[in-house]
Amino acid sequence: MDTTIYLHDGSFEGLLHAVAAAVKSKEGVKGIYAENGYSRQIFDRHIRIQTDGQQALRLFDYLKKLKGSAARYALNGYLSDDRDVGIHLYWLVRECLARGPQATELYTHDSIRYLDKLSQKVGKEAHRLTGLIRFRILEDGLQYAPFESDCNVISYCARHFRKRLKNRQWILHDIRRNYALYWDCSSLQEIAIEDDFTKHVRQYGELPDARISHDEQLYQALWKSFHAAIDNKDRKNIELQRRLMPRRYWKYLSEMRD
Amino acid sequence: MKTSEKLIILAGAAKYDASCSSSGSNRNSDGDGTGNAAESGICHSWSADGRCISLLKILMSNDCLFDCRYCLSRRSNSQERATFTSEEIASLTINFYLRNYIEGLFLSSAVYASPDKTMADMIEVCRLLRHKHAFNGYIHLKIIPGAAADLVQQAGFLADRLSVNIEFPSEASLKRLAPQKSKMSILAPMKQIGDNFTGFQLERKKSRNSPVFCPGGQSTQMIIGASGESDFQILNLTESLYNKMSLKRVYYSAYIAVNEGLYLPALTTAPPLLREHRLYQADWLLRFYKFQAHEILSPAFPNLDDRLDPKAAWALRNFDLFPIDINRASYEELLRIPGVGILSARRIIKTRRVAAIREQDLKKIGLVLKRAKYFITINGKYPARSSLSHHQLVDAMCRAESPAARKLLQNSRQLRLF
Ligand code: SF4
Repeated sequence: MDTTIYLHDGSFEGLLHAVAAAVKSKEGVKGIYAENGYSRQIFDRHIRIQTDGQQALRLFDYLKKLKGSAARYALNGYLSDDRDVGIHLYWLVRECLARGPQATELYTHDSIRYLDKLSQKVGKEAHRLTGLIRFRILEDGLQYAPFESDCNVISYCARHFRKRLKNRQWILHDIRRNYALYWDCSSLQEIAIEDDFTKHVRQYGELPDARISHDEQLYQALWKSFHAAIDNKDRKNIELQRRLMPRRYWKYLSEMRD
Repeated sequence: MKTSEKLIILAGAAKYDASCSSSGSNRNSDGDGTGNAAESGICHSWSADGRCISLLKILMSNDCLFDCRYCLSRRSNSQERATFTSEEIASLTINFYLRNYIEGLFLSSAVYASPDKTMADMIEVCRLLRHKHAFNGYIHLKIIPGAAADLVQQAGFLADRLSVNIEFPSEASLKRLAPQKSKMSILAPMKQIGDNFTGFQLERKKSRNSPVFCPGGQSTQMIIGASGESDFQILNLTESLYNKMSLKRVYYSAYIAVNEGLYLPALTTAPPLLREHRLYQADWLLRFYKFQAHEILSPAFPNLDDRLDPKAAWALRNFDLFPIDINRASYEELLRIPGVGILSARRIIKTRRVAAIREQDLKKIGLVLKRAKYFITINGKYPARSSLSHHQLVDAMCRAESPAARKLLQNSRQLRLF
């Protein structure tokens, strides 16, 4: 009977270790979840994994050796914050053990297709945000960009901007997860942002007035007029605009504000 | 005039330009400069007409000395005129770029002084950006027809992409509609850019130190529907621009009737958006599906069918080549099946290596079954079940068109009634 449920601490290592443990066990596996937010059912058997980095790394190395996208499936699956990613990774590994390494490309397999979709979702949102992230330039030259994303894509975005804006100091701030990264022109580090500040940004989608410089105001206004000026009245297609740039991303875009 | 007022006039005047892509160049930020050009295009916003905004697309000036009949900025129109200074554009660009509003600059201009002087001012913008602001982002520069060869050369060393608008598919139309532009003033720089592009690419293979010339290649643009050429002529020209001039992209721009005049469609004419859409689909077949222009159209069928995408139309005309066996067909054959795209063709090949494909797998692989089913067999079965007459097939394929194309079709029919 598929009754065993593996629970982990919600970290990437935790997820991988749980998948590895499930693959090794002889019993049927019903699910692999992050402990946080999971409510136990009375008839299920639960195994709580004490995360062991070594175990996780061993599985990750195995995935990297497989053909195609297995390692990316694991990483992006984790970053997608999808609840069910664990069990699908489990099926992926089982399939590869049974059929050989090219099974990762078997798009007809439900779990592999599920992982492929998750992975694409993460990649797509990361790519989208590299465009939609907006830096505000503060008086002292520091650049600050608040954003909210469905998936956990801040590290992908940071990787993009450390190349593009490598000679500028900047902060990326995932408001939803309240997690911020600071680039000081040579290295990237986690940084804590004041609660009051975060609260204001979350509420208004913009910095407190006192922190907005004259130049910043000017360029936001110029960008807004540019955006309005290039509308092609003969081709108006608001539906298409909304589909390509869903409303949930508008909050931090000055051009979309009234 | 304030920068903000100029911006509104000169961004407004540039919007009729079709090409928005900033992809295909991978300039790296070297030393301590700012920025790079991303290989796959990044959109930073979308305008209310659903177009991706990735570049600061503006004219340097709309104060034109020329009088091209189709153009809003022509001399004989009375219009509010504005001209940016080079520094104004450079600082707009770098400030937008740092805030991540844009990938870079797409600069075009009316001919407000001699072609050489206009071109030189545009080059100055690039020089300021690259040298004063250490900007390594994307720059697309339009070449002014008639600009001197050494200016074209300088432009190539500063910009990621250059383009010379070919404007019309034939010399006769060009003469009639753009009397101050000559075929030579367009083709000469195009050829120069093409030769240098391939030349310096070869050099770079030999030595990493040789300069980069226009790494994103060149593109061009054609106005659709202001002159009388057929789609067959347009597609043939497109094909030879790709093959002989090694262009990266040919853009089509549905003519928007902005001026009254001899030789021009009436002011009430709607822009031929559906035709533009079909031409882009055909162009796509040339670039990614290994089609040739003469397969898509011929002197006997010189225009694309507005009801059907050109691949479906081709498949229906060549129905004797079908059905194709999904488990046996080569990659090239798969690409010819309506409803099979590049991604699904690749997946079919990959999946087949592990296991034969079953009928229930087709949708999972991403095939558009409502289009493909008439053209394939799978494990000896014909998924459409019964075979249809040619007429019924055409009907079925029309119904299976994408919603966007159907909407365009509907709009174009509606407009024709009034
Ligand atoms: S040269 Fe360009 S801007 Fe001037 S009239 Fe002709 S198309 Fe218009």
